[in-house]
Amino acid sequence: MASTVSTPPTGTPASGEAVDPALERAAERAAARRGALLALPGFVYLGLFFAVPLAIVFVYSFATRSSTGRTILGEWSLRSYGRLFDPLVGGIAWRSLWIAALATAICLLVGYPFAYFIATRSPRVRGLLLVGVMIPFWSNFLVRTYAWRLLLGSDGPLSQLTDLAGLGPSRLLFTPTAVLIGLVYGFLPFMVLPLYAAIERMDFGLVEAARDLYASGWKAFRHVTWPLSRPGVVAGSILVFIPSLGAYVTPEILGGSRTTMLGSFIVRQFLSARDWPFGSSLSFVVMAVMLLATMVYFRVGGKTL
Amino acid sequence: MTTTPSPASTATKASEALAVSTAAVELAEVVKRFEDVTAVERLDLRVPDGEFFSLLGPSGCGKTTTLRMIAGLEIPTEGSVRIFGEEMGLRPPNRRPVNTVFQSYALFPHMTVEQNIAFGLQMRRTAADETRRRVAEVIELVRLGGMERRKPQQLSGGQQQRVALGRALVNQPKVLLLDEPLGALDLKLRQAMQLELKELQERVGVTFVYVTHDQEEALTMSDRIGVMDAGRLLQVGTPEEIYEHPRTRMVADFIGQTNFLAAVAQGQGEARLADGRTVNVPPGSTSGVAITLALRPEKLSVVPAGEPSPSGANQLVGVVERRVYLGSSLTYEVALEGVTLRVRQENTPSVAQCREGDRVGIRWDPASTTVLEE
Repeated sequence: MASTVSTPPTGTPASGEAVDPALERAAERAAARRGALLALPGFVYLGLFFAVPLAIVFVYSFATRSSTGRTILGEWSLRSYGRLFDPLVGGIAWRSLWIAALATAICLLVGYPFAYFIATRSPRVRGLLLVGVMIPFWSNFLVRTYAWRLLLGSDGPLSQLTDLAGLGPSRLLFTPTAVLIGLVYGFLPFMVLPLYAAIERMDFGLVEAARDLYASGWKAFRHVTWPLSRPGVVAGSILVFIPSLGAYVTPEILGGSRTTMLGSFIVRQFLSARDWPFGSSLSFVVMAVMLLATMVYFRVGGKTL
Repeated sequence: MTTTPSPASTATKASEALAVSTAAVELAEVVKRFEDVTAVERLDLRVPDGEFFSLLGPSGCGKTTTLRMIAGLEIPTEGSVRIFGEEMGLRPPNRRPVNTVFQSYALFPHMTVEQNIAFGLQMRRTAADETRRRVAEVIELVRLGGMERRKPQQLSGGQQQRVALGRALVNQPKVLLLDEPLGALDLKLRQAMQLELKELQERVGVTFVYVTHDQEEALTMSDRIGVMDAGRLLQVGTPEEIYEHPRTRMVADFIGQTNFLAAVAQGQGEARLADGRTVNVPPGSTSGVAITLALRPEKLSVVPAGEPSPSGANQLVGVVERRVYLGSSLTYEVALEGVTLRVRQENTPSVAQCREGDRVGIRWDPASTTVLEE
């Protein structure tokens, strides 16, 4: 593009880099069009299979349910939203929040030292350990959760162990604890991986600098390592909390009927209760609350950097 | 005088004892091995209080490891590290009276300039108002006024360097350790900071142990230099001693440029070169011993080939192979029989210049020859 002609056209400086601004804009527009074209399949896919169904759910949440369980479109009401204030819903939401928060906290507590350990190994050991973290993903989640049913069952190995220890057989299966164990087991990798990425990226020279500036090991962690790995903590917590809150498989298999969580409750509205408007409004509100909470969390947690 | 020791002699003894105990840093037979690599090999070093001491050497020579052992970031495999007479042993870095300016600065990216500088004081639970006062003083000292609220990534390299310096100095350490602190700066800024650092050191009177691979930097700033190579301390001395009287070929080669001529000592201040010619050298070597003559390029001068040499001066004849123009000076590479000598001439009107291919004489004063026996 740069002109090397010795006599520049009248008016343009001799630098040879002056390009007609109109041409430049046209080139930029063309580049933007090409980019949009490449992104089109993604847009179409998400639009068809994500945005449209979501809109349908949204519309259904204002519909009414006939006495036979059919959804009547055309008779719009806010009744299904009113039902959200039912104490039963509140109880389930509270339990879900509580269990999800606990699962997140345990994942963080267990995952942080582990991620730190991996991040401070030699590259070869690091690779092996990371593959180790991801191996469970290669087998079916449902199968793995069923395996816990055997482990936690009343005649399972855990129960036998407590019995041998004189504590009597443990009755963990179909309790909130069993759900918690299942959730921590299932989602721990989602905590470890972002934490690992954040810690691995950190300059350990900063820890040395802190130690040199009179910080004890613990203080260096608190004032340097922890704040610098916070993006990983935020990302990992979100990746564990959100699926835990909406978890369906784990509470269904390990929680039994006594430990209903939001996910199972919503499913029940669609399948057995045949109350699609209520299920829809429930889904929508949970989603909105989670989105809001995530945004706040990112805003607060991301502030450190 | 005979029975009781005179006051004068006790005073001398006392001051000697004091001199021994006030070594700011003392390393005795320090060895550091990493698995099968020996980074530092039996190193002995004494840095008196208030000195600007540089550890100079090529990368990988163990100078940074030595510094880190003083800081407590590495623990010696063998030997002892003392700071103001106190054995450091396994003491962790946060309990040593030293601070470090790191090569990459290692500024905390999530803290402002002010918070970075206050970090050490806060870790030692200094009162808030004293912390504020001292931080303000140091910000003044390192000329960072107006930058207090900035994050490190919003500062230029030179400013970051000064934050690192301020963050260490605010703690009033007894010894300041600096690991190539100017390495990341461009030449102009580096030269300015060299003078600034030296001046600062004189003003605050803190002992500096300064690690660098830049010989010019070490010569400019240091009271004394220790030259290291392959984990060993080869020579310790003032910049002048190191430059004028290098004790080994490595030191002569590393500090500045040097021509090496293989020779055999002849006694009576003479040496025979490989091609049989005899030159005058400073006396002292036993006749028959193989020696190396080290000649600095700037101590040599180029003269017209036929010109007779004044008595006592050495003169060899060669052909100019290359002429390199450096602005304020010129370098000639002159081929003699078997060797090429590098000669540096000032670019002044009084010095005649020559062209490539010219036959010239190379002349030097025997006194400026360094004789190396190895």
